[in-house]
This record gives sequence, structure tokens and C-alpha cells, in this order.
Amino acid sequence: MFRTLSRRTLTGVAALTASGLVLAGCGGGGGEPAALDADEQITLNYTFWGNDDRAARYDAAIAAFEEEFPNITINDTFTDYPSYWEKRQTEAAGGGLPDVMQFDYTYLRQYGDNGLLLNLEDYFGNGITTDAIDEGLLSTGTLDDGTFAIPTGYSAWSVFQNPALLAEAGIEPYEGGTSWGEYDAYMASVTEAGGGTVYGGTDTTQRIQDLELKLRQEGRQLFTDEGELGFTQEELAEHWTEGQENREDVTVPQSKLEEINPVSGFGGNLTTSEMSWSNFLGGYLGDSGAEEITIVAPPTSNPDEKDLYRKVGLMQAASASTEHPEAAAAFVDFLINSPEVGEIFGATLGIPASETQLEGANLEGPDKAVKDYLDSIENRMGDAPAAPVAGFGPLEQTFWDLGKSIGLGTVTPDDAAKQFFDEASVTLGN
Amino acid sequence: MSTDSAHAPASARTAESGARPADSRRTGTPRPRRRNRDSLAGYVFLSPWLLGFVGLTLGPMLASLYLAFTDYNLFTAPEWTGLENLGRMADDEKFWASVRITLIYVLVGTPIKLAAALAVAMLLNYRAKGTGFFRSAFYAPSLIGASVSIAIVWRAMFSTDGPVDGALNLFGINLGGWIGNPSLIMPMMILLAVWQFGAPMVIFLAGLKGVPAELYEAASVDGASPLRKFLSVTVPMLSPVIFFNLLLEMINAFQVFASAYIIGSGTGGPGGATNFYTVYLYTRAFANNQMGYASAMAWVLLLAVGVLALILFRTSRSWVHYAGDSK
Repeated sequence: MFRTLSRRTLTGVAALTASGLVLAGCGGGGGEPAALDADEQITLNYTFWGNDDRAARYDAAIAAFEEEFPNITINDTFTDYPSYWEKRQTEAAGGGLPDVMQFDYTYLRQYGDNGLLLNLEDYFGNGITTDAIDEGLLSTGTLDDGTFAIPTGYSAWSVFQNPALLAEAGIEPYEGGTSWGEYDAYMASVTEAGGGTVYGGTDTTQRIQDLELKLRQEGRQLFTDEGELGFTQEELAEHWTEGQENREDVTVPQSKLEEINPVSGFGGNLTTSEMSWSNFLGGYLGDSGAEEITIVAPPTSNPDEKDLYRKVGLMQAASASTEHPEAAAAFVDFLINSPEVGEIFGATLGIPASETQLEGANLEGPDKAVKDYLDSIENRMGDAPAAPVAGFGPLEQTFWDLGKSIGLGTVTPDDAAKQFFDEASVTLGN
Repeated sequence: MSTDSAHAPASARTAESGARPADSRRTGTPRPRRRNRDSLAGYVFLSPWLLGFVGLTLGPMLASLYLAFTDYNLFTAPEWTGLENLGRMADDEKFWASVRITLIYVLVGTPIKLAAALAVAMLLNYRAKGTGFFRSAFYAPSLIGASVSIAIVWRAMFSTDGPVDGALNLFGINLGGWIGNPSLIMPMMILLAVWQFGAPMVIFLAGLKGVPAELYEAASVDGASPLRKFLSVTVPMLSPVIFFNLLLEMINAFQVFASAYIIGSGTGGPGGATNFYTVYLYTRAFANNQMGYASAMAWVLLLAVGVLALILFRTSRSWVHYAGDSK
């Protein structure tokens, strides 16, 4: 039956989506938000991306919500990040977005500007409490026409390490915040001691965040204020070329990573370190089964530059076409503010944006380590970049795919840079 | 699934070789009203299929034909751009890479699959104990082969230290995992396709049963070797079935999607080696929101497969031999 996912079906979907767009256009409007009726039986669909660890936490959070609102039932589904957005795009075009969604800052403009998300501002003070949410963080969900998503929390780019693997290899942990050369040396020493089963880290030029970090260390940005790329094709080629030596005999071979995808090298216990957003800690603990994971600052070429920033990642949003906007708002409010949810999630959705949730989170163990880490890099924290341009999501994925292809040797850094710029001219031109 | 529908034409073909039934209309007086009623009833019985065809196939196809000439990102209304999508396609390196990958898969995989199907069909054509079991056993993979779970199992089998790697290591062959290796993933994809030779095999088997035994006896009397018999009796007598299988398998191979999507993690990985035409089309449509471009790609594929099928039909006149033909 899966053969039906063929060209014919795809074109079919394309056409259905066209008609769905018309329907979606009719779905807007509506008057003043009504108060939530406690007697009406309501079922809401909720969806998120993540792994088993996150799913277990959401199950607990939903149970708590259903206890407080016995008339509301939440049906939840989850998937991994790339397919999450593929599904949402089709649903968006067909007018069938879930009532409430875990959302990403990256896609906010695309969905919010096209009238697909519920304007949560209508429920501020009337279903959604905003008093406890950090103003700067709350405003990240605001576009021209209203506030369409609320951040669950924030995180920052960081280096994760697995102490148990390091002890096995007999290598001292990376201390964090040093020069790139020292981090490279650390990775090399682990790889040498690991004997082909454990590596020091993953290619540090593969992801667009790697490039962003280097640009910020030079006082530059990924995108200009006009929403154009803040670097040239030659600079990108050079960036990818810089990783060549490490790719040859230091970082984990890309072919091994392909096999365990979607688990990362660090999550799969192939590497002792990996750079990522600080809220990945919970996921890493779940994926790797490690008892302890430590977190330190990324290397820098310029310690005086404010290269790191508070990244709003995960957000909660509701669909503009939901039949139960009040219930959807209540669920968003619960996910954002409830101390109980804070206790369940800790810092795995970022350090909670809401004070009440942060108190409930009672951060301890690994979550406290994330909070301590964020406090420790205060002097490297600069201004966050402007809300990502529309089309940044696919572009970020293209960057990563090309980075992986370079690691496999199927494309040279020069060709990859050309492909990225070709792609960007189409995506950003839209 | 297409494997089920595949039997019908083959058996129809063998039945057709006899004389056509006499045309009743010519013998009796014409009765137009009766005929109209008959055809109306025919259409009524056809209507579920017709509705499905118009609503779910023809309509969307026409819509995608329109979208092929537009820039459509799913969020805003399609914008007419004429032939721009085709122009972009011509300059798109990844597009050409996907064409190359798909052609290799079709041109290498299909003949191997058909050869394997024919070879096993000939083995199973002998009357021996247990052929019934082996027929089912060889047919089974084609029933489940296109499923997601099989693709996942193959992923696991061909990873580093997986069963395949382990078995090869025993023989001193150290290839490592096939899944993460851009140059080994294509052989693996072809192997996965060849493994599903059950459907063409069953059709071949039906065709082999239809070859008159007298021809082999006559060839034996003339002192023909087994190879001679194969080349001069089996192949010509089987050529309509070979043609049918070739056409069907070629068209199927062009549309490979599920296995490539799963094995390549949906991104055409590793390193774009599983970026088949359909996978790329899907990426353009649903990951990059370029529905116009994807629609144009869909139509280019349809036309390309149509042209190839036409070429096959043209060449078939010189090598496909129907038993009823006069020589």
C-alpha cells in the first residue's frame, strides 16, 4: 500500500491542498472569545516533535491537565523534527492543523503571517496568564498582527560531554570556553584513545549554528537586517573546508552517523562531546542512557565578543481553525505556566520562560546544571538575532544535509557552498 | 497493490489467443434501445471507479498540471510563472543527480530482477516435490517488500556489525555498514528490489506453462541443446510475457519511493545517494514548500516514463512474438 505514495498521490495531495487553501481562507474571523464551558466535552489534538523521553513527560503533563479540566481530552501524537514540519505544511495547506502544537521559532513567521495561528493575545488575562512570563521572551512570539506563540523557555548553544565515556577513554573533560584549537586537541585525544569505537566529537562545521557561532565571534550575524545572508559563498566554502582535517581522522565518520539517524552521535554513545542547544540535555540523557551528562561553554576565537544568546526555541501555539479556541488557550496556558508542568519537564523545553513554572520546576540534577551553565555564560550572552526569515527552516535543513554530504565525501565544500547559495536565492526570493 | 493487478493482463493475454467470440450484433437485428440500456447499466456499475478516477486521479492531475506552471508555496495563492520551473530544473544539479540515480536503479535493477524472476520460474516449472512451498516462499517478499517495516529491517541488516556485515566479515570481506556508505547504498537498494521478484516470477511461471510441450519435444528430436531450446523455444514463446513484465517493472522502478525514503532517512542520505526522483520531488514539495516545482517534476516524470514506454512498444514489434501471428 505504500507504493501509493507515488507521483500520482503527490499530485493528488497538491490539488487537494489547493482546494484546502480556499477552505482555510474561510475559516478565519469570529467574535469575542467566549469563556470556557466546564460542562462541554471537548477533545483537542496536540502534536509535538521529540523523542521517547519527551513523550513520557508530555503524557504526564497531559494527565495533569485532564485532571484539572475533566471535560477536556487531549489526543497527542509525536514524530521527529524533519517529518514534523512536512506534516504540518500539508495540514496547514489543507486547513487541518492540530488544535494545539509545539511550535518552533523558526517557522513562526511563515505560519503567523499567513493567518494559520490563533492570536493568543485575545486570551491574555482571559485564559492565558502572562504576568509571570519574561517580557522579552513573550515578545518573541509577537508579529505585526498579534501574538501567535508563547515560548516555553530558552536555551543557549553549548558543549555536552559524557563523563562515563571520557573516563573509559582515560581523557580529561574539555573545560569549555577555550580556543577552537584546544577543543580540536581534546577531540583528537579522545578519538585516539577510543580506538575506532568512541570519538571526540562531531564535525563542528556541519550545522548552520556552527557557522552562526563563528560569525558572531567576529561580531557578525547569519542574516543581515534586510533578511539577506550575512556571509558570502566563498566564506561558506572556507567554513566547510576548515572542518576538513577534523573530518579526516578526528570527528566521528558521517557514515556511522547515518546508520543511527535520527539519534545523534552523542546520543548514540559514539562521541564524548557534541555541540547543541542546552535544552537537549534531557533528550541526550534518554537517548544515551548515560547517568550523567555535563555541559560547558563552546570554544571561541574571541573571548570578548558576545557570541552566545538566549535562544527561544520551543513554543506553544494553537491553530486559527480550532473549533475550541478557549480550550486550546487553556491548554497553552497550562503548558506555559503550570508549576506542575515545570516539575515534569524541568529544563528539557528550555529554562522555563514563566516564573511560576520555573519555581515549580525546582531545578535539580541535570536541569540545575543547565541553569548553572546559562548563568555561567552571562558575560558571553549578546542580543538575540531578529526573528528568523520566512524559509529559514528549510534552509537550515539544507545546510545540515550539505554538511553531512561533505562528511561523506560526496560533495566538495565549494560545490556545497554553491548549492546552498542557489537554494537560498530561491527560498529567500519567495 | 500492483502485484495483484499484475496477474490479470497476463492470463487475459493467454485466453485471448483463441478465436474471438462471434459478434452477436451482426447475427440479429440491431436493437439500439436495448444497447443503450446495457451501456447505461455498464456505466452505473463503473461509477464508483469513475468517481474515484475523476475525483482522486484526473482532477488532481489536472490541478498539478496547472501548478507546474506556477510558483506555489502552500501558504499563498499560486503565482503564474510560465516555464520558469522547467528552466530551473535544467539548472538544478540535484535534479540531474536524482535523474541519474533513478536511471541507474531502473536500468540495472530491472533486468537483474527479471533475470532472477525468469531463472527461478524455470526452476519452479519442473514438477518436483515442494514446488508449491517454494513458489509461495519466493513470492512472499514481493507482497511485503514495499512496506515500511521491510525497509526498516533492511536498514538494520545492512548497518555496521549487522547480519550482512557480520557474514561478510566471516569471509574476510570488510565493507563496514552499507547504510552509511554512499557507494554501497545503491547496490543495496537494487538488491532490495531484486529480492521482490515474486510478482514477475509468477507471471513468467504462467507463461512457461503455456509453452506447448510439443515444441520442446520437436527440438529434442532435432538434437537441440538445453541452451538452444531456451533461446529458440522458451524466449520467443515467452516474449509477450517478458515484454509485459519489462514494461510493468520499469514503470514501477521509476516510482520507487517508500524504501528509498526510509533507508535514506527521508533526506536522500547518505550524501544524496538515495535521492531518487520521487524522493527529491517529495522533498521539494513537502520540505521546501515548492509545490509548483514539484508538480512540474511530476509531469516531467510522467512524460519521460510515457516516452520510454512508447519506445519499448515500438521496439517490441521486432522482438515480441505472439503465437497467433502469421509468419
